[in-house]
Amino acid sequence: MRESGWRTVAATVFVAALALAAFAGVTHGFAAVTSDGVRRADIARTPRVLPDLGLVDASGQRLSLRDYGLPSSRVTFVTLVYVRCRTVCLTSAAGQSWLQGEIRDRGLQDKVRLLTLSFDPHNDTPQVLAEHARRLEADEGFWRFATVRDAVDLPQMLKLFDIVVLSDSLGGYSHNAALFLIGEDGRLSRAYDVDRPDIALADYLRKGPGS
Amino acid sequence: MRVLPRLPAVRRDYLPGLLLAGFALTHPWLEHTMARHMGLELPGLFILGWFAATCAGHRLVRALESWNANGLPGLLFGLCVTGFWMVPAALDRAVLDDGMAIAKVTSLVAAGWLAGASWSCAGRVIQAFFVLNWVWMTLAAGLLYQDAPQQLCSVYLVNQQGEAGRAVVIWALIGLFAWLAHTIFVSHLFDEVERPEAIAA
Repeated sequence: MRESGWRTVAATVFVAALALAAFAGVTHGFAAVTSDGVRRADIARTPRVLPDLGLVDASGQRLSLRDYGLPSSRVTFVTLVYVRCRTVCLTSAAGQSWLQGEIRDRGLQDKVRLLTLSFDPHNDTPQVLAEHARRLEADEGFWRFATVRDAVDLPQMLKLFDIVVLSDSLGGYSHNAALFLIGEDGRLSRAYDVDRPDIALADYLRKGPGS
Repeated sequence: MRVLPRLPAVRRDYLPGLLLAGFALTHPWLEHTMARHMGLELPGLFILGWFAATCAGHRLVRALESWNANGLPGLLFGLCVTGFWMVPAALDRAVLDDGMAIAKVTSLVAAGWLAGASWSCAGRVIQAFFVLNWVWMTLAAGLLYQDAPQQLCSVYLVNQQGEAGRAVVIWALIGLFAWLAHTIFVSHLFDEVERPEAIAA
């Protein structure tokens, strides 16, 4: 083969290797093609530690996200919402309501709890969150609503959950969503499609509490 | 009359750069919706690169010649880069991450530039191989974007996917028909019997 032939083969192999590395990088090793899928694979592979983020709940009580990050006998299903949302957050709320019913029916109150985090602290004050919780008939015993105390902590919270929030032209936000699981080890260890709480619960029950 | 063609020739040298500046200025608008991003910006950058290669003419083809026999690595690069930016996770990163945004513009312009420089030396069989692979890949991606029930990109709403998918399908069809027109009217593929050396090329 002529020299240009070898060079061309080398260049072709180089381009193919580069492409393979780029595709593998962006899809987290060919695990998924969407950002949500990539996040799901990433969280499952490397569970995330919860930082010390100052929160305030619907009753005005101060707490830290780290409180959920301590090893515990209870797991927590988390969603991120803003109360005025009329799109995906309704699905998130419906999913958690369904989980609340299942938790009651199966007597899992001391094993599973729910947390709804708002990323709109400006509008979602404790009073607004409390009203939202009443509308959803949330059981205070195991379903808590909270938001960040200080808006400067918001980017850190969104980054932890890989939630992208963009202002839409109607005064609201467009954003992605997921149903997250904080495991008994206190780490953010799973992300599920927001409209499939059934899969999330089945996954938890299959592994068995305490596993 | 002879002076007139010269002016466009001078302008032509600057045109790719001016067009790129145009993309830079309008990129917030172009990336505001998924359909504009996938249907205007991505193909626009690739075409811009191809146009820059045609402006450079034979000089460029000769410069690449020894590493790019039959245009193989150049066309492969074009195929891989255009495929890469149709991955929803890559599109998200390009909007959210400045480094990825720069990588997107650079890689797409380079892809168009290398594909444009490789086209004339590729021969009909290699041209057909890459074009048809690109067409089915793009067509499949466009149809998947239209059919996907879940939100594909974090930065674009699910209701924008249909329009974006249709734009991608239209580009696949434009590519296919442009190539068919090229084989019929420029390379006259169907006018003569293939010579063995043409097939080998």
